[in-house]
Amino acid sequence: MTRRIPALVVCVAAVIALVVPLFLPDLSFYIQMILAAVIVTGLSLFMGYAGQASLGHGAFVAVGALTVAVMTVRLGLPPLLALICAPILAAVFAYIVGLPLLRLRGHYLAFGTLALLLIVQAVIATVPFFGGGLGIFGVPPLGVGDAVISGQLPYVYLSLAVLALALLISRNVIRSRFGRGVRALAGSESAAASSGVPVLRTKLAVFALSAAFAGLAGGIMAFFTPYVSSESFPVATSIAYIIMAVIGGLGSLWGGVIGAVLVSLLVQVLNAVSNQPGLPATTGPVLQYGAYALVLILALLFIPKGIVPTIAQAMRRRRDRRADAAAPTDVAVEPWASVQG
Amino acid sequence: MNDFITYLVSGVAIGCAFALIGSGFVVVHRVTRVVNFTQGTLAVFGGLIASTLLKGALPHGIAEIVAVLSAGVIGLIFGFIATGKRGTPPLISLLITLGLSTLSAAFFILFWGQNPISPPGIGGATDVLGARIETQRLLVVVVTVIAFVVLSLFFDRSYVGKGLTAAASNPRAARLVGINVRWMGFLSFGIAGVLGGLAGVLIAPTNAVSFASDLPLALGGFAAAVFGGLVSVWRTLLGGIVLGVVGQLVAGYLSGSYQTEVALLMMLAIMIVRYKSLSAEEAK
Repeated sequence: MTRRIPALVVCVAAVIALVVPLFLPDLSFYIQMILAAVIVTGLSLFMGYAGQASLGHGAFVAVGALTVAVMTVRLGLPPLLALICAPILAAVFAYIVGLPLLRLRGHYLAFGTLALLLIVQAVIATVPFFGGGLGIFGVPPLGVGDAVISGQLPYVYLSLAVLALALLISRNVIRSRFGRGVRALAGSESAAASSGVPVLRTKLAVFALSAAFAGLAGGIMAFFTPYVSSESFPVATSIAYIIMAVIGGLGSLWGGVIGAVLVSLLVQVLNAVSNQPGLPATTGPVLQYGAYALVLILALLFIPKGIVPTIAQAMRRRRDRRADAAAPTDVAVEPWASVQG
Repeated sequence: MNDFITYLVSGVAIGCAFALIGSGFVVVHRVTRVVNFTQGTLAVFGGLIASTLLKGALPHGIAEIVAVLSAGVIGLIFGFIATGKRGTPPLISLLITLGLSTLSAAFFILFWGQNPISPPGIGGATDVLGARIETQRLLVVVVTVIAFVVLSLFFDRSYVGKGLTAAASNPRAARLVGINVRWMGFLSFGIAGVLGGLAGVLIAPTNAVSFASDLPLALGGFAAAVFGGLVSVWRTLLGGIVLGVVGQLVAGYLSGSYQTEVALLMMLAIMIVRYKSLSAEEAK
């Protein structure tokens, strides 16, 4: 189900992604966009193939961020070790909560994951060790020994590297034997089960993998911000992850990236417009909520499959048409050829 | 003892509102397979519209009824947007309802501001077993019970209600006997709007509502519906009451901040333990 995007486009996009941060005055927005792309890539993997909505993916971002904050600030462990542990702990957490949760389906799972996020928020807010009401301040900068990262730019390139890694892992997972099992699940769980795919174990593995991506992104976020509290992971953000995944195209490798970039840019533009001086105080939230929601509803109604699959389909159709025009006799002789191609 | 009765009655009142919202979830999900995330938003609409109408000097009773009916119409419109386009999968419809509730938040801030609003209810207090209880809370309970009686009569006895049940249990067969399943779906959103609006109108005088109330109300409603097994309206009412009372007792005797978590954990536990029987019942 990986949509092939010409290698040239990918190269150009990569160059742009590497060059643009050199010219931006403030990189917080850029980093958040890249990390959102990492999270959404994992979420798209889970939602696209397991066919279920996780409304609380922020819970795993929170586990990753908290791992970093607790290990560095509370326990004084080296930052690099904390960053390595972030995705591992997030995956373990997802595996443990997934054991009961992933037996649920449809609206039960949607509300179950939402409840999970709210419970994680509540635990962070009430347990002082995890920050309590104040949060954990002063996460040290990332580094090994005395060599420490300073400034924003290195975090940007670290995030981009993580995004590349996430995409590479996703691509290989989708193409592997395991990935074929996962894709079978998306079609029909009972059919997959009867052909020997262990349903719950496969779902759990994808869930844990997507949580690992989210945890790693959360860990980098904690180093960058450098502050973690229960309010760092609002429900609206988790919902935005899902919307990014769907707008980009569920189950397409690049859909998560495209969705994250477009939705983040939209939010950023709306922020900029609503912060213009001379507007009444309510314009900000009204514009941010209203225009954002309106664009999303229209996108969901008119491109429900998402941008990447829709474009891929259009391109394939055009190619087919050109092939038909070039060799009409072939098609007449073998009408099924175009169906298979 | 007085405290206990106060917690008990206010818990029952909140639970009734949860039950109304929860049955909205059930009605929509059974007919359309869509999780309608605007369910809490519709309650906020009810409460806020009632507050404006009461300020516009409509008398009590009429203002509330108009607010509930408006919420019903808004629900219908939401249903039309979320499920109106043919072939929209339930997941996309769910996301559209999420978008609609965000859009409504903008609408609420634009017209009602960001602060919680509490329209006047019926004032005064009544003695219940020695405890002073706001009369509004008792009204919530009475109106909810009436609403549930009407709702179950509607589903069991009326032609349209039976059509809804048919569309829910077997869409293809329903279509064969001439029921317009699509319109039944829109209608279910309308009913959900009325139920949500009713909850909002009833609860707003004692628990002020704002643009941010939609999620807590929706979660409480869904939890109530899960407690009730998501099929029977009466069990949803019971579920809502259990949830409301436990929440109030926890808030009263332990700490107000644990109230939501307890409700969430109870909901998760029930969903997981009873998932098999829940999905089996829903398939009926």
